[in-house]
Amino acid sequence: MWNYYFKLGLMSLRRNPILTSLMVLILGFGVGASMTAYTVMHVLGGDPIPHKSGKMFVPQLDTGSAEDYKAGDEPDLQLGYLDTDAMLRARHGSNRTAVYGIAPIVDAQRKDLPPSGEAGLAMTRGFFEMFELPFRFGGPWNAAEDDAGSDVVVIGRVLSEKLFGAEDPSGRSVRLADRDYRIVGVLDLWRPVPRYYRLLSGSSPTESEQVMVPFRNAISREWRNDGWTNCNGSSPDEPGFAGFLKRECNWIQYWVQLNDAAAVAEYRDYLAAHLAQQRKLGRFKRPDNIRLRDVREWLAFNDVVDADTRLQTYLAFGFLLVCIVNVVGLLLAKFTARSGEIGVRRALGATRGNIISQYLVETVVIGLAGALLGLALSYAGLLVVDHYSFESAGIAKHDPWMVAATVAVAIVSAVLAGLLPTWRAALQVPALQLKSQ
Amino acid sequence: MELKPILKTLLRNKIGVAVIAAQVALTLAIASNVFYIVRDRVAAAGQPSGVDEANVFRIRANSYRDIAEPMAQQKMDEQMLRTIPGVRAVAMVNQVPLGQSGSNSGIFVARKQVQSTTNAAFYESATSMVDTLGLKLIEGRDFLPEEYLETDGEPPYPTSLPIIISERLAQLAFPTQSHFAGRVLYRGSGDDATELRIVGVVEQLTTPWGRSSWGSQTGSESVITAVRLPSSSPQYIVRTQPGTQTEVIKAAEAALVKPGDGRILEPANSMLELRERRYRNDYFLSSMMATMTGLLMLVTASGILGMASFWVGQRRKQIGMRRALGARRSDILRYYLLENFVITSLGIGIGVVLALSLNFFIAEGLQLARLPLDNLLVGMLMLWAVGQLATWFPARRAAQIAPATATRTV
Repeated sequence: MWNYYFKLGLMSLRRNPILTSLMVLILGFGVGASMTAYTVMHVLGGDPIPHKSGKMFVPQLDTGSAEDYKAGDEPDLQLGYLDTDAMLRARHGSNRTAVYGIAPIVDAQRKDLPPSGEAGLAMTRGFFEMFELPFRFGGPWNAAEDDAGSDVVVIGRVLSEKLFGAEDPSGRSVRLADRDYRIVGVLDLWRPVPRYYRLLSGSSPTESEQVMVPFRNAISREWRNDGWTNCNGSSPDEPGFAGFLKRECNWIQYWVQLNDAAAVAEYRDYLAAHLAQQRKLGRFKRPDNIRLRDVREWLAFNDVVDADTRLQTYLAFGFLLVCIVNVVGLLLAKFTARSGEIGVRRALGATRGNIISQYLVETVVIGLAGALLGLALSYAGLLVVDHYSFESAGIAKHDPWMVAATVAVAIVSAVLAGLLPTWRAALQVPALQLKSQ
Repeated sequence: MELKPILKTLLRNKIGVAVIAAQVALTLAIASNVFYIVRDRVAAAGQPSGVDEANVFRIRANSYRDIAEPMAQQKMDEQMLRTIPGVRAVAMVNQVPLGQSGSNSGIFVARKQVQSTTNAAFYESATSMVDTLGLKLIEGRDFLPEEYLETDGEPPYPTSLPIIISERLAQLAFPTQSHFAGRVLYRGSGDDATELRIVGVVEQLTTPWGRSSWGSQTGSESVITAVRLPSSSPQYIVRTQPGTQTEVIKAAEAALVKPGDGRILEPANSMLELRERRYRNDYFLSSMMATMTGLLMLVTASGILGMASFWVGQRRKQIGMRRALGARRSDILRYYLLENFVITSLGIGIGVVLALSLNFFIAEGLQLARLPLDNLLVGMLMLWAVGQLATWFPARRAAQIAPATATRTV
């Protein structure tokens, strides 16, 4: 029976090719536009590390001045060196890392490859484990190198292939600015969207950072932060980088891993104790103002899904709604034009249910065709977004879930559009239609 | 008057009318809000920077070895750039307008003030930025040659500096005044705040970040200081004679960094490029929204066209009868156009309410001002036009129906 309706549906669609293609086109555009926008929002607002997002936290401490404090003020998003250093040494939590941006100049010391500036990260070893970085060759530097701030480096796959081709460069050296670094590992492609490990980068690189050196190494080389640095309080008495490190400047992103509620409570106590101890040294003039946000809270707090992205999504779904209403109109016209046919079928014994099934199958066929078109269009749309927008670069991929969602949205839209016309068609009194013939 | 038969017919076709009116209403609600957002974005992206943008570019050199005499190197670079034919002026600066990276500081009107009056971008310029960017001085003067200070950026810091500020900053700091030269501002507060003496005011100078969308920041609060600092990655702004920029950039890129001098060149960016980069996302959002609205109008037009064609087909006999009874072609045409006008107007009436509520919702969420009525009006006119245009073709066909049709049975 359903098979027969399906055939009837196809036949009826073929009888009216212009109207049919118009409906498919309109539905396809509506679905394509809305699913493009939704995918962008879905990926940006997604959880980049679902199995661990509730265990990784960003601590925030308030180093602002006492005079302009208002209750409810948010502390800075990053930490200064004094607190970072103390927190790294205290080793609380089951893992931790401090990270900031660097812009080293990489010199392969080859005639054919001039030195080039690369985006990089200075971070402690915990970063590799906490953010689960994939290694292609080698591995992270060891704990001793981490503490000593040795001249070791992990490079990204893109840079590795540029400098060494496909071979494993572990153990070889590469010059950063004016000093040689031993390559201990090469990362595979790693490019989480959103870039949650460091949301406050200054520039928006199109490629993820390709040079990673130990945090203490970058500090000892006096490499300044390539990114957001926020200073308050008075200027230091000490000149140079040493003076900068002692200033109340916030420029380091800190992450700590806390596996359960007890660990979180313990860490809060530690931070409070740290603040109390630092107060004796004349720091932290505001009342205790500590935040400890996990990955999801951190992303939400930083508005990763910004107003523009949300706006585009609302607009796209508004567009889909208009498309659905439009298809309602077209189907209404089409089914009404076939009143005679319905009358004959009803007179020959078809029940209302039969008529409804037949016409719903027809709209589902339109929905399927619209889904295919919508899928293609949303893929094209994602490529466009990928090309033009830095923040969401690299998202032009449909995961199976999004493909299923697109098909579902298309079919549901088509059925929604078909309900009213189908119901109207089924309501017709057979005798009336036969008479008018 | 034909309105009465039209209304009667429409009342018998309630669902069809509702479908068209709903489309018109939704389209108006979306389109008028989109016009508004796009207009806001385009205004932000087009805000003048105060710079002679067509003739200014930025070029940078990054060193990867310690430079023995960074100050001397900078002066050599500037000198070299000045000798390139076509160059009008060169200045070393710490940041460039719309460059998206730089420093800003809280500005205070009095030392004892607790909250800063506003944040302002701090430009440091080793030679005249007014000349090099082509800024328009509206009060006071440019820095005197002896006012340019060479410092290593380490303590002790100068306690007082001459500054040139943008008019916008002047108005924010001294809202009740009209003359600003000679007045004093502070960088920071308290006893160790730096005193800033205003010597000149420029009409406009945008910050490195420009105007943010949604109009929360004007992006025109700027301070210029006359300071030369040693930098391992100095950036230079260059103003060229009109029409020579491409050649000057080529020459500058070729000459600034020599092999083996421990520096790498960062390719030059013209001001126009910097502007494009800064507002790329806004341009993208605007063009995407405009495209969607265009498609929306097309979809609505196709809906109106489809429904009108259907009605014409359904009423062939009646139309033929009317023609046979003496109605002219223009009467038939007018009937359909008027019918569409009634339906579209109904949709527009609902759409105005929808548009205003949608705007209320958007404005709450995105800190946007209320929808100006002229945007709504433009949307209304466009929908009326779309409706009439889409009805025109089926209506023309209806007008062609021969009076003899009335005599045929089917």
